[in-house]
Amino acid sequence: MGGSIAVPDAGRSGRMLLLAPMLLFFGAFFLAPLLLLVVVSFTNDQEMTVLGTAQFEKFLSDRFNWRVLFETLLLGAKVVACTTLLAFPIAILFVQAGPKLRRLLLMLILLPLLTSVVVRTFAWIVILAREGVVNSVLLSMGIIGAPLQLLHTEMGLIIALMQIELPLMLLPLVSVLSRMDPNLIAASQALGAGSWRTLRRVILPLSLPGYAAGVLLVFASATAAFVSQSVIGGGRLIYMPVFVYQQATTLFNWPFAAAISVILVIAISMVAVGVNQLGRTARGNIHG
Amino acid sequence: MSANLGRRAALASAAFAVGGLAAPRPAAAATTVVAAHYPNTWETAYRTIVAPALLRQHQIELVVTPLLAFDQVARALAQPRGRPPFDCFCLDPGPRLTAIERGLVQRLDRAQLPNLAGITPGFHDEFGVGVAVQVVGLAYNPKRVERPTGWRDLFDAKYHGRVALTGFGATFGTVAMIEIAKAFGGSETNMEPAFEQVRRLLPNVGAVALNSSQLPALFQQGQVDIFYTNTNNVAALKARGVDIEFVQPDTGCPAFNTTLHIHTRSTVVAEAHRYINTSIDPEMQALLQQPPAMFIPTNMRTPLAPEVAALVGSHDAMGRFIQHDWSVINPQRPGWIERFNREVRT
Amino acid sequence: MASFDFDRWSYRLVLGALGVMALTIMVAPVIIVLVVSFTADNAMRFPPSGFSWRWYEALLDTVQSSQIHRAALNTLQVGLWATAIGTALALLAGLALARRRGAGARSADTLFVTPLMLPQIAFALAALVFFSLIGFDAAKPAVIIGHIVVCVPLAYKTISASLSQLDPALLESSSSLGAGRFRTFRRITLPIILPGIAAGAFLLFMASKDNVAVSLFLSDARTNMLPIRMWQMMEGTLDVRVAAVSGLLIFATLVLMLAMERTVRISDRLR
Repeated sequence: MGGSIAVPDAGRSGRMLLLAPMLLFFGAFFLAPLLLLVVVSFTNDQEMTVLGTAQFEKFLSDRFNWRVLFETLLLGAKVVACTTLLAFPIAILFVQAGPKLRRLLLMLILLPLLTSVVVRTFAWIVILAREGVVNSVLLSMGIIGAPLQLLHTEMGLIIALMQIELPLMLLPLVSVLSRMDPNLIAASQALGAGSWRTLRRVILPLSLPGYAAGVLLVFASATAAFVSQSVIGGGRLIYMPVFVYQQATTLFNWPFAAAISVILVIAISMVAVGVNQLGRTARGNIHG
Repeated sequence: MSANLGRRAALASAAFAVGGLAAPRPAAAATTVVAAHYPNTWETAYRTIVAPALLRQHQIELVVTPLLAFDQVARALAQPRGRPPFDCFCLDPGPRLTAIERGLVQRLDRAQLPNLAGITPGFHDEFGVGVAVQVVGLAYNPKRVERPTGWRDLFDAKYHGRVALTGFGATFGTVAMIEIAKAFGGSETNMEPAFEQVRRLLPNVGAVALNSSQLPALFQQGQVDIFYTNTNNVAALKARGVDIEFVQPDTGCPAFNTTLHIHTRSTVVAEAHRYINTSIDPEMQALLQQPPAMFIPTNMRTPLAPEVAALVGSHDAMGRFIQHDWSVINPQRPGWIERFNREVRT
Repeated sequence: MASFDFDRWSYRLVLGALGVMALTIMVAPVIIVLVVSFTADNAMRFPPSGFSWRWYEALLDTVQSSQIHRAALNTLQVGLWATAIGTALALLAGLALARRRGAGARSADTLFVTPLMLPQIAFALAALVFFSLIGFDAAKPAVIIGHIVVCVPLAYKTISASLSQLDPALLESSSSLGAGRFRTFRRITLPIILPGIAAGAFLLFMASKDNVAVSLFLSDARTNMLPIRMWQMMEGTLDVRVAAVSGLLIFATLVLMLAMERTVRISDRLR
């Protein structure tokens, strides 16, 4: 069974012809610029004439930079954790819902993805500010005595990021869970397992492949969310993307900006590979 | 089946149609000068006041592109060959020096700038001409906090939790930090006192804005009530109905002027000169002085409007405002930016 | 019996509460923006003091808002070009790689999805350096190319998913009945995957119109893009027209989404 499904007896040459445009496009406009970026990161001066590892040495030798990298990755992890907590209830609701409710839920899930990042960040400023929606509501209900500081905190940033991360986690999750046999839940409960046990032993393991995909997407997105990090995080929370922007546009130091980008990409890739491995192992465990 | 293919064809032809329709049609007779200006107030002012005059008097079409000073330099550096991204720069002293050092701007031909005679001495040189003076000071919400007197007040307990700091990204940020250093015993070469004060304020700071353009939003949403900025920003916010007042610091008023330059590789040099000359024309400067732009004129022949005179006194007084030596500041800036990053981290 | 009830109700309570939080986080900001866009105030405060169409009117005024119109037109133009080219590329690649399991096919598949994993700011910087070093001046094509790279993975994944659900038996029977390759494609494959293609194109267009990082680095004087323009307006002047633009965009998105749902059942395609 070697042929492409759409062009049954095209054989290898036919397939290569189909593949060529996208491959060439990616080669020229994705791989080449990235390669160039790596090369630029290995230059020692701002005019990019001398090769060397000075930029990497500059970054890696400073404890402050390590902290920025670490905090960026940690932010990604925290966002993944919070998103997991809030995504599963929606996914489970989706699985147990009828077709009309499912369609409505999907539209709601898509909505944040389709609204502009600029719109979203400004909305969150209005919501999280000292005189914003959250504080007004909590104050008027008497739950708090003085306004909470939500804007320019990591907590506020995580909440705001979740608006875009929840859909990213939910789409693969829902995709996998919707292929699950609904009878499994009924069977589990008929056999005496409570709701929580069913969740732990039946739903969670089956959702693992979708969950793994969601984790990757959310982690990559949260660590790179440059606009939200700077507008909602504020000047005291410094993450890698902001670092890159500062070096590239305020200081015109392309080689250093390139080096920071390369380090960020490598770090994210390492985490991605790790998670991928976990996902593959999990899939192996389920299907034996 | 045919409907399906029809749908795709329709999409494709729509793309081509819009592509054709949306392509800008150059005016038949006018030459085009592309000038970079700061977003919002500056670009609107130049687009609505200078551009029509330029078109009327010289048949030159002015296309204004919104970019902050550092972005202009970054963009110009990103295109070291071929057509320049824009013909004219509008820069603050820091980026101006970088632009000159990196060979991005060309020497001006004084013969083509008759209005130069009226410009305050010191506000122009062989590479650029000042078109507006920017005065840096304190801005506060009079309905919510007391009127501050100087830089030291920013760190005073009575303003705890209400102050916004911004780093060395924008020119006024750099200028303000230098003045803060001086108010606490430092200088242009010794910023330690300023960093020390920042560190001390951190537990009680209202907000730290990474990007200085975030300050208006924070101020309006009540997140902070006092910050440092220039008169243009204050005027822009006032025009929006925000409660804000500008205060000259008691240690003296720092000012700098924003200059226009011509890109080294511009192909419309004569027209660019005419654009600059029009911008420094006394009547044009008077128009630009009107609200909401409220650009402080550099041409001594333009009488100062009352609100402006209240702020700065006179043209002579402005000449005596504190100016900084950017050749000393520029090399230190990257280090200060990194140091500021470090100090403000939670 | 009692412990079973507690188990069930605690489960429902916790999941319900978390679910409500999740939905609120996803939807509330959108609603707030819509509400603020109708404010009668001069500022973007919530709740607004009164209802007014004034910001939408200001937006449609060609003198005041010409810059926004131009930015919107640029964004539309770039979006349509990026969608047309990107969808075509994704379709061809999807066809080539469908059902292939070899190492080469898997690598290509991973490559085409990688832009989603990469921080966009890194790619945007790389693209800027690349285009400047090869001396490529034209900004609009550069922006289009940049948008295609970062947005096409969405179209590719959707089209691939659609192709993977295609039953190979249909194609085998078609060819055994004597239909040539192209005929089989035109009559069997294409109609079945057309909704997938439409969904992919839709996602690509949506992603392109909202792109900030690439547009920020690659656009120039004449190619000011809408998200950038909105960001500048929002930060510098707190112009309430930004809320009105957002309102229009949200409305247009909803309409488009509903249309896609009716015609191609997009909610089924996105898995």
